[in-house]
Amino acid sequence: MDVVILGIATLIGLYMAANIGANDLANAMGTSVGSGAITLNQAVVISIIGNTLGAVLAGGYVTNTISKGIIDPALLAGDPNKLLLGMFAALVSAGICVHAATLLGLPVSTTHAIVGAVVGFGVLSVGVDAVTWSKIISICASWVISPIGGALIAGGIYYFAEKRIMTVKDPIGASERYAPVMIFLVFLVLILSLIFKGLKNLHIDIGFFPTVLLTIPCAAVFGGVGRWWVRWQVRAEFKPRPEQVDYSPVDRLFAQLQILTACYIAFAHGANDVANAIGPLAAIFSVVKTHTVALSVEVPFWMLFIGGVAVGGGLLAFGTRVMDTIGRHITEITPIRGFCSQFGAATTILLCSRLGFPVSTTHVLVGSVVGVGIMRGMGALDLRVLKNIGLSWIVTLPFTILLSMGLYGFLTWVLL
Amino acid sequence: MRLLLSSLFLESPFENLQRHADKVKECAHLFREAAICHAEEKCEEFDALTDRVAKLESEADAIKRNIRNHLPRGILMPVDKFQFLQYLGEQDKVVDEVEAALYWLSFRPKGLPKEIAPDFLHLVESVIPPIEKLAELVLMATKFFRGKSGSQREKMKSLIHDIRQHEKEADLLEQELKGLAFRTIQDALVVFHTVRLVEIVGEIADHAQNASDRMRTMIAK
Repeated sequence: MDVVILGIATLIGLYMAANIGANDLANAMGTSVGSGAITLNQAVVISIIGNTLGAVLAGGYVTNTISKGIIDPALLAGDPNKLLLGMFAALVSAGICVHAATLLGLPVSTTHAIVGAVVGFGVLSVGVDAVTWSKIISICASWVISPIGGALIAGGIYYFAEKRIMTVKDPIGASERYAPVMIFLVFLVLILSLIFKGLKNLHIDIGFFPTVLLTIPCAAVFGGVGRWWVRWQVRAEFKPRPEQVDYSPVDRLFAQLQILTACYIAFAHGANDVANAIGPLAAIFSVVKTHTVALSVEVPFWMLFIGGVAVGGGLLAFGTRVMDTIGRHITEITPIRGFCSQFGAATTILLCSRLGFPVSTTHVLVGSVVGVGIMRGMGALDLRVLKNIGLSWIVTLPFTILLSMGLYGFLTWVLL
Repeated sequence: MRLLLSSLFLESPFENLQRHADKVKECAHLFREAAICHAEEKCEEFDALTDRVAKLESEADAIKRNIRNHLPRGILMPVDKFQFLQYLGEQDKVVDEVEAALYWLSFRPKGLPKEIAPDFLHLVESVIPPIEKLAELVLMATKFFRGKSGSQREKMKSLIHDIRQHEKEADLLEQELKGLAFRTIQDALVVFHTVRLVEIVGEIADHAQNASDRMRTMIAK
């Protein structure tokens, strides 16, 4: 019986993960494909590898007090089956919500969907008091903080690129000077998140200042390698692919750099979002194996690995066609614009993830693209989409709460 | 299935602006052909050419309306929307004046007064390059707003300077031609027709220059 439950749970978890890949990851990687920096196949390969590495190296190994700290598991200690069914209901509800949103092209947050779903079954199983409402407030704060953070970082870096690289007399020389700095910054945030989360997963805490002292020289080494690489690219006159022929030399250089930000955002996505599908799954596995309710659940390495691969698989199965459309029809995403958007989004995701804000990759990415647009860096952006995002903020939580409550009620009625 | 990223991006209005500029340029070439034809008494193609210009003008108008109707309030562009629309308006006035000049020409029998015919054709020739350069300018602007390249900006500034020079030349020719008409033509009706015609042709270059000035504002740092 346990094998059947675990099998079904794994399938549902993979369904949720695939939906996350088709929605969130497709949006995140779309800017790279749109700018012609990487091909569709390269995007899929980078997504699968980067996302899996992000999940394994910097993902949530320990799901804090049952999925995101939204409900207090101690209240369910007497009845582990309730938690089991609740997590089933949460995964299915969030999966349906994200699936529907993907089909309709709505900017739904996978993070908010799973949070809403957990709240739903929490309220029905142990009551309103079981929900940690302060966590919900932090979600509401993230609605505002995450897109603004993305917009500020992406807009700021685009402003810098425009003033210091694009519009100067010798843009190639300026690129040689500043591109290594950008590479340094990418690795700075990456290494910081790896040390903070990766080492934490290994139960090693080396403190804040030693971490910073270790990170800066490491990132500087990557910046140095980047400097050599950029110079080599400039000397080799970076042979463009057919879709890059119209680009300026600086854009062609940034098309190469965008491969880095594509890996960066795939990694950030893995670190931030894979746990949305895998966290509840880990809780289900824990209940089935121990028949008790644990306060915090260890997520096994293999589960994060499979989750990362499943998210990439979702992108491969459902996201490639839309990314292909973006690549062929949205000509406004140039490599510099794409670089700035992805840099802003990935940095915001990793920083917010570190600060404990449950951010949405899609919302951060939209914020970043709009940030570049505000700096007059995009051809034509339809800000009416922001209205849809606002609507999705309001709708996602109640929708998943109600769906999860309905499903949980049905499952307990049938099975308990 | 749709992606949010797809719904965020609209077609750049510069692509339609380029189509509009191409129509204007096509009209300019037909205008030159029609003016040369009209200067001769045995011109049979003038009406057909005027009809083609009228057709192109209405197509350009449709593009203009399409641009205006698809720039909703919530759109974010690399340039100020108001300036962009002002540019479009000026570019559209170029084709309006071309059409008006041909209609004005058609009000009198074919064949220009011999005293002014060579200078008039010279004036017509002088307003063609600014229009051609306007189309070139839009093409450069499309590239510029994608990459914001400093060298591209310099090329555009140089092109805008050229347009200004052409307009100045056209202005001089316009004044000389008006004087010539008053000095050499005795028939007041012909003088009136010629002066108004010359003014309309001069306005073609004026609007081309106004458009290029708007572009200069758009690319200002």
